[in-house]
Amino acid sequence: MYFAGVDIGSTMTKVVLIDKAGNLLSFIKGPTGAEHRQLANEVMRQALRQATLQIGDISYIVATGYGRLNVPFADRQITELSCHARGVSSLFPNVRTAIDIGGQDAKCMRIDNGRLVDFVMNDKCAAGTGRFLEVTAATLGIKLEDMGEISLKATKRIAISNLCTIFAQQEVVALLSRGEKLDNILAGLHDALASRVAALARRLGVEPDLVLTGGVAKNSGMVKAMKESLGCEILVPEEPLLTGALGAAILAKETHMRAEAAGEVLPTKSRRLEKTTFFTQEHR
Amino acid sequence: MSWFMGIDIGSAYSKGVITRDLKLVASHITRSGADYRKSAETMRTELKRKVDLTQNDVVNTVATGSGADNVYFAGRKASEIVCTARGIGNVFPQARTVIDVASQSTKVIRLNEQGIVINFTASQKCAAGGGRFVEVIANVLRIDLSDFGPLAATSRTPITFSTGCAVFGESEAVTRIAEGIPKEDIAAGVNKALARTISSLVKKLRLEEPCAICGGGALSTTLLRAIESELNINLLIPPQPQLITALGAAIIAATSAAPQSGRKRNP
Repeated sequence: MYFAGVDIGSTMTKVVLIDKAGNLLSFIKGPTGAEHRQLANEVMRQALRQATLQIGDISYIVATGYGRLNVPFADRQITELSCHARGVSSLFPNVRTAIDIGGQDAKCMRIDNGRLVDFVMNDKCAAGTGRFLEVTAATLGIKLEDMGEISLKATKRIAISNLCTIFAQQEVVALLSRGEKLDNILAGLHDALASRVAALARRLGVEPDLVLTGGVAKNSGMVKAMKESLGCEILVPEEPLLTGALGAAILAKETHMRAEAAGEVLPTKSRRLEKTTFFTQEHR
Repeated sequence: MSWFMGIDIGSAYSKGVITRDLKLVASHITRSGADYRKSAETMRTELKRKVDLTQNDVVNTVATGSGADNVYFAGRKASEIVCTARGIGNVFPQARTVIDVASQSTKVIRLNEQGIVINFTASQKCAAGGGRFVEVIANVLRIDLSDFGPLAATSRTPITFSTGCAVFGESEAVTRIAEGIPKEDIAAGVNKALARTISSLVKKLRLEEPCAICGGGALSTTLLRAIESELNINLLIPPQPQLITALGAAIIAATSAAPQSGRKRNP
């Protein structure tokens, strides 16, 4: 008996397959394109191939993330907040605060005994999300994944006075032309984002254990800046992008097991993966 | 009788005027660029040239705007709020509310019967609250800023932006273009969104009519129409709206009975 979680985020699409005991069988991450449906099919196909399974072997499938309604084969949709909380607490049973910084939003969750009890989120302003780093990385002409490492070499931090991503972009250009060093500017940018997310988290109250997830958690400079802003240790899972999809898969398993124990049969969607093409391939 | 100069160094444009007998006799507008000090100097030279003054003629100058510190030859500095209020008071003495739509932010000022500032508010440090939002979307649409208003005016079904952030708005505009939505509907959607942000700022202060508008944003007739319909009023529009703050600075230089700006004086 196998279960799947599909997390369609604004920037990345993730699939996790687990078995009855909750063991991770395979996972796939891919950039979210314009065509969610086709992408959902494609990432699922890859994950199945990796686990040498057929789509018909999957007993129950849960979709999450902002594109969760665009997964044609998902049996149930669950919000990313519940899925993240479940995924994080399966990896870190003592988690009390979970912060997920994605490409287009930031979520802070208060978790009690593995259950989501409260949350705050920002999806209104790019300055408090991974987008802030994405935009400024493009302005500086460096790769997003290199930002954190470079920022760790800083000898001082340059305070970024603008809150707005667009104005910060302008400020970065001005700092460069003033001859400021790239690593120092980057340290300042990481600080700016960390302090915004920390302010969001403080609205909930920050209690350890604190787990940081989402694409931004892969950035070592950001982990350091968050640690300093919040003044507490930060735990990061090995695959910080996957907690939402993992939580979805675990919730799929639990939903199915509960129904089975009660002698019910849950309705499921057709287990056919449509013939797919990537949006980009179609237009090549 | 003498000449007075007002220089307003903004984040995008520098504006300057020379007045005589409280009347505007010359003006100059230029990009602020990266060297504000140089823009200020060029401004002084240009303005003096326009009224046939030599470089040695001393003109009492008041500086304002975010780059006011760079106008090293100014006698004093004054806040943008006070300058805008004085400038509008010169053109529309009856105005009780002023909306100043600039590139970086939008300010709303309430005035009493004497034209004295009684309250003001400004948009948060956010690109979505000022003309910068228009610049960002114009860039996505690959059109000139000067074509933006006329293009938006042709729209019959403006889009509604789901976000209040210029960065997210940029992505949304790209998505709409991919969906085949005509450019004019996207441009008109920007005006609608900006008008909504500005109107809520006005309502925060409690609107009192007559209401005047100034700043570079007031050059866009489609934005003006959008604000008028959002607030359900008729706006007073000065002939050269982007010069109002500089005009106010020159008037302060002339009357010198200006209210203290709260900033430190220049030596």
